Formats: sequence, C-alpha cells, structure tokens
Amino acid sequence: MTTLSHKPASARPIPNPERSLITRLNMGTGTVVGVLFAAITYYLLRHHFSSPWRHNHGMDMTNTHFVNVTLLSTMLAWSFGFLVGIGALIGPFRWLIGKDLTAEEQLYLAGDGQGIKRYFKYCTDHKVVGIQYLVGVMVMLGVGGTMAMMIRTNLATPGSHFIAPVVYNSLVGLHGITMIIALIIVSTGPFGNYIMPIMIGAADMAFPRLNALSWWVLFTAIPVLCSAWFLGGIPTGWTAYAPLSDQAGPGMNAFLATIIIFALSTAVAGMNITTTVVAMRAKGMKWNRVPIFVIGATVSVALAIPAFPTFMVAMIQTSLDRTISTGFYDANVGGSGWLYANLFWIMGHPEVYVILIPGVAALMEIAPVFVRKPLFSYGAAIAGFAGIAGLSVLVWAHHMYMSGWMPSLNGPFMITTEFISVPTGLLFLVLVGTLWRGKPWMKMPMLSVYAFIWDFLIGGITGIYLSDVPADNYLHGSMFVTAHFHYTLMGAALTGAIAALAFWFPKMTGRMLNDRGSYISFWLIQIGFNVLFLGMFMAGAAGQPRRVADYAQAFAHANLISTIGAYSVGVGMLVLLWAVVHSWRSGVIAPMNPWGSKTLEWTVPYPVPLVNFDEPPVVTSDPYNYGRSVK
Amino acid sequence: MATHTEFHVHHDSPEKVGRRERLGVRLLIVADGSFLFAIIFSWFYLRNLNENNAWLPKGVKTFSTASSWWVIVPFIIVFIAHRISMKNRSLRVPAMALSTVLLIVGAWYQWHQVCNMPFVAQDANGRPFYNGGYASNWIIFAGTNMFHYIITAFITLGLFLRGLRGNLLDPVLEEWRQRVAGSWFTWVMIGGILSAFTTSIK
Repeated sequence: MTTLSHKPASARPIPNPERSLITRLNMGTGTVVGVLFAAITYYLLRHHFSSPWRHNHGMDMTNTHFVNVTLLSTMLAWSFGFLVGIGALIGPFRWLIGKDLTAEEQLYLAGDGQGIKRYFKYCTDHKVVGIQYLVGVMVMLGVGGTMAMMIRTNLATPGSHFIAPVVYNSLVGLHGITMIIALIIVSTGPFGNYIMPIMIGAADMAFPRLNALSWWVLFTAIPVLCSAWFLGGIPTGWTAYAPLSDQAGPGMNAFLATIIIFALSTAVAGMNITTTVVAMRAKGMKWNRVPIFVIGATVSVALAIPAFPTFMVAMIQTSLDRTISTGFYDANVGGSGWLYANLFWIMGHPEVYVILIPGVAALMEIAPVFVRKPLFSYGAAIAGFAGIAGLSVLVWAHHMYMSGWMPSLNGPFMITTEFISVPTGLLFLVLVGTLWRGKPWMKMPMLSVYAFIWDFLIGGITGIYLSDVPADNYLHGSMFVTAHFHYTLMGAALTGAIAALAFWFPKMTGRMLNDRGSYISFWLIQIGFNVLFLGMFMAGAAGQPRRVADYAQAFAHANLISTIGAYSVGVGMLVLLWAVVHSWRSGVIAPMNPWGSKTLEWTVPYPVPLVNFDEPPVVTSDPYNYGRSVK
Repeated sequence: MATHTEFHVHHDSPEKVGRRERLGVRLLIVADGSFLFAIIFSWFYLRNLNENNAWLPKGVKTFSTASSWWVIVPFIIVFIAHRISMKNRSLRVPAMALSTVLLIVGAWYQWHQVCNMPFVAQDANGRPFYNGGYASNWIIFAGTNMFHYIITAFITLGLFLRGLRGNLLDPVLEEWRQRVAGSWFTWVMIGGILSAFTTSIK
C-alpha cells in the first residue's frame, strides 16, 4: 500500500495534569470499589429487609429464588462498582454536568508517558486495549484449555474416576463458555484493537473511551464466571438449555451474569469497530482498498451487534424465572423451552461466524504476503463474508431438528444450512487461488494457512452431514458433533488467531516471535489436534454420546487416541506460551517491516506513536499489489 | 485551557466527529432494536403457543390497554419537544427541562405499575409467582421501558445542564450532539409504541 506522506512521529510532551481523581484510579481501586459495591448489595439484600417482610414475600435464604436474587445482584454490583472504581464513568458524568474532560485529562487517559502502569488503568489508547485483550484472551484460553485437558484425562479410559460426574458436567459447561468467549474476542480483541486502526490509517478508534470500556466490562465478567466454581458449577453445558437452567443451582447465576455483562461489552466493541472502519479510513482508502482482515473483522462485529442482544434476552428471561418466578420456560405457567432454544440459536449460529470470519480474514491477510502474490479475487472474499453473514441468520433451527420444534421447517432450514457452504467455498477459492503457483515463504503464519485449509475442509464437510436431517437424526448429540465444531472453531478461528499473533507479534511487541518455538508448537498443536478430533469423529460415528463422563468399552480405543492427541495439543500450547513470553522479553529486535508487507501498519515504527501517524497517510493503491495489481 | 474541553488527537472537524457519533448511536440502536425484537418475538411466540392454556389463565387480571399507552406518552412528548427545540434554539433549555421532568414522571408511572401488578399470584407456600405467559412477558417490557427512561433522562438532563452552562464545546459539535440525541429520542418513541402495541394484544 503506497502512502504519499509518512513521517516518523515526533516525541510528544509528557502530560502533567493536576493530581485529579482520574490520576488516582486504576485496577486496584476498581477492585476495591467493586468488592465494596458487591458486599454492600449482599448485605442490604440479606439484612435490610425485615424478616417478616421477607417471609410474607417468600424471600428468605431458604428460598432458592431469593438466593438467586442475592447472588445475581451481587455479581452485577461488582461489575458496576469496578467500572466506577476504575474511572470508566467519569467521562459520562462529566458530560452530564457540562464539565467535559480537559485536553490534559484526555491525554492522561490515553496513557501517554505512563509506561507499564497504563495497562492496569482505564487507558483509551487502542494499542494498550489491544494488549489488554491479548493477555486476557491468553489467560482465558489457558483456563479453558486446562479444563479441556481434565475432561480428556477423565475420558482416556472407560470407568475412569479422575473427575466425579457432577464436577465433570460443570467442567464441560465452564470449558465451553470460557472458550466461546475467548474465541469470540481472540482476533477482533487484540488485533482488531491494536492493528486494525493503524491498518486503515486512523489515529485512534472512533470512541476511545468506549474502547476501554468494552475491555474493562469484559474483564469484570472473568471473576464472575470463575465464581461459578465455588457456587456449585454450571451443570447445563454452555448452551444452558431451559428448563435445566431454571432448575440449576446457584452457580448458574454466574453464567447468566457473565453473558449479560459480555453481551454489553460486545455491543460496545462492535459499534466502535464498525464506526471506526466506516468513518475513519485514510484518505484514498476506498472500500476496494481496505485490507481483507479489516473487512472480516468488521463483518464479524457488525454481525454480533444484532445477534448478541437475543442471547442477552434469553439470559435475562432465565434470570427472571430464577429470581422472581416468572415462567418464560415453565410450561405450567405458559412458558416453553422452545422459546429459549429459538432465542439462543438465533444468536448461536451467527456467533459461530462471528468467531470464524476474523480468523479466516487474518489468514487471507497473511497468504498474499508470504507467497508474494495478490489476493486472489478480493471480490469473492467479500462476497463470501457477506454471504455467510447474510445466511447465518437463517439457519438457526438446524440445531433444533431433534427437539420436535416445527418439523415442517426442517426441510427449509436444511436447505439454507447447506446453501451456506457456497459462500464458505468462496473463502477456500480465494485462499487456494492465492496460493496457486506461488512460492511460499514457509514461516509459521504461512504454515497456518495450509493447516486451516486442511482443518476447515474437514470441519466444513462434516457440517454438511450434520445439516442433513436424516444424518443428523443419527449423529445429533454424539461426539461427532463435538469433533465437527472443534474442527471449525479451533481449526479455523484459533489457527487463524495464532497465525495472526505470529504475523503481527513484531508490530505489537517490537520483537520477532521465536522461530523454533513457533514451529515446534505449530506441529505439536496441528498433529495433536487432528489425532484428537479424528479420534472423536470415530467415537461419535460409532455412537458415543457427548457430555457424558463415562462410556462403553466399545469406544475405548477412539477415546484413548483422542486423549493422546489432546496431550500433544496441550504441550504445543505450552511451547507456544513459552515462545511468546520468551520472545516478548528477550526476542530478536524486529525490523519495522519484517515480512515486506504493503499494509499501513508496517509503515509505523515500534513503539507505535500515540496518534499512530504524524500526518494522516494518503492511500494510492490496493494493499496486495505484489508483482501485479488486481483489476 | 478550561475552555478547550474536547481533545481530538487527530483534530478532526466537528462535522466528522458528529457524523461518527451519529453512526455509533445508530449502531447501538440496532442492538437495542434487536433486544426489543427478541422480547416481541417472545410475547407472540408464547401467546400463540398458549402452553397448557396458561397464556392468560382464567381469572387472571391484566393491565388495561390504555395504561400500556399512557406509560409511553413521555417518549412521544420528548420526541416532539426535541423536534421543536431543534427549530427554535431559544427553546432548547426549557424543552430539555420539560423532557427530563416528564421522563421522571413516566419512570415513576412505570414503577407504579410494577408495584401494582394484578397478575402476581401466590403458590401453596405463599410465595409470589407470575401467573401466565402474559404476566412473565409483561414484566420484561416494563423493564425495557424503564431502561429507556433512565438512559433518555440521562441524556435530556445532560443536554439541559449543558444548555444552562452555554456552549461548552465547539458550537458545531454541540449542534451535532443535539441531532445525535434526536436519533435516540426517535428510537425510544418508536420502541415505546411497538411495546405498547404488543402489550395491548393480550
């Protein structure tokens, strides 16, 4: 990508604001105020109302509904209190009273000249938010991955008692929701925040304060979700189907609060990223010159904006059933579990593509750089993303074929689901066309492109089996389904995100990712991944149900194979973690553009200046004109 | 420096910032609209399913249709007041003051309805429960209205207080923010009408 003007940013003066409240707030004060709010809420609910009042209204601590009220309110109070304590609400409050933040205060909030401290503050610099997301995602993947290892260890042999069945159920639920949240943000969080604004030539995100808010809101959900462990766990799996979730123990409140908080964070982040891309592109960056990763990330978050509120509604309705005895999902009082299933999957299937698209888009960004060829058919890539996004809202009921809901609609939903393989095929076409007759530079990001094609081909084709009503009749609820969605989510989204990490690591840290570590981790993860989930396909096709702590002897070999694969993935992830930490601390210093890429982020030095560009860049060509330009 | 209250690192024009803020608010309205769509879907889904004839069990009282509409009247007045004040700048401060008061009254009326729901029954242990699908769904509409009241009152109060202090920012940007607020006022009015229409169909 050619820029007409680009000068290195000059050093900015370090702001020296008065010692106002803003300068005293950080993660510590947030935690203190959050805990204080939670404690006060808990105390008030337990002790404020007099005993006779509570008894008359059926609200005593022997009543599970009142326990749920107390816990849910306490968790939400923690979240709100943390945001107050870290200073997230100062901006809106100051706007309310007509005393806007001064330029100095805004510069202070941007973290200028504050070193490592800014990572623990309400910092509005998009690069800081990107790093916060990156570390947060790594922690979540670590926790979710550890739970996966425990699950696979329990399933290594039939009759294993490594984990008690009740704990196993909770593990499956917590693993599921932790990984789903981590994968939703795994690309758009770190790279959508750090890299994307620079890629489009913007000085910042459209709404820097909301950008920080989206991260810190999400952050408050992490301890809430962790608290489920101490409240009896989540026995429903991540889908939290009603009426199981209505009847589940106190741990379910943690799940509900987490999703409500997460949905708020997603709406804010989605709005911010979409606005930034639509309204803040550099001069000359027409839509057909926008890097494909930016397009993918935008499609993903734009899809999330309408999708996640329905999930939030489902969670709020569950909360109301559990706290004040409404009956959304209780057939005795006019409710229906099918209502939950519909609301959940209206969000649930678009969410798969919210996860998938940024990972694929990152790999499309990487492929032209490493084969030194233009991206094959940019238009087909856009059509693929648009087609997937459009169709994804019309396929939700394929998750409900066997539920008995509207059997007459099974046929139409089968057709829409199978039809979605057409735009998905376009994505393959773009990648294969880009690689065709290229001379690939086989660095780790490029290896991931090949891995994705293999993994996602398996994930996609097995998805066609599952979209078919007769085949789903047999395979539904089996390990085959589990293997299928891991091939799509892990094989595409996580593979893409790891490739993106290796690709943009030099720009985000100023250092190269350790080559040997990244190669070793790549092969351990990819070989282990295929062993793990091909084994799981075997078990599923033979009839092993999913979400069970034990199984028949007939499935023993397939499960042992899967567990061996899982250990390989686990070791590979540890090697990757070592490579990231080691390289970040003492890796080889990276040049400004180690891959010879033509997108704008490689034209700025490390550390990237606060406003990214001293002068706004002017774009005069497309970002993939390697050798010859795309007409 | 106290008067230089807005920091834009890249010195974008107020028009650019204003258009950006308008797009952002409209995207948030899409999210809020999706939320409203989901609760309207829930209403009609459970109503038409009428599981165990328990959408409205025999003997259960409901709110009158009129009360469903009365509760959203402040949203309509706020919308009209804002439109008028956009044409006549001198009316901005009183229009936002009136809007804030009306929104507080509306929120109070919504709360009053919540405190006097006629469809809450007691089970064998004397514990309250929401009797029927109608009752369950009604409460979530009331909650949504309340949420809209709080957010809208925050905005009108802010515009009122800022108006009292005079033009704090670039007047062009302040003008844009008035317009952006108008997008929200329009939406809460439409949302309120959709809610009232839905809850009128029992």
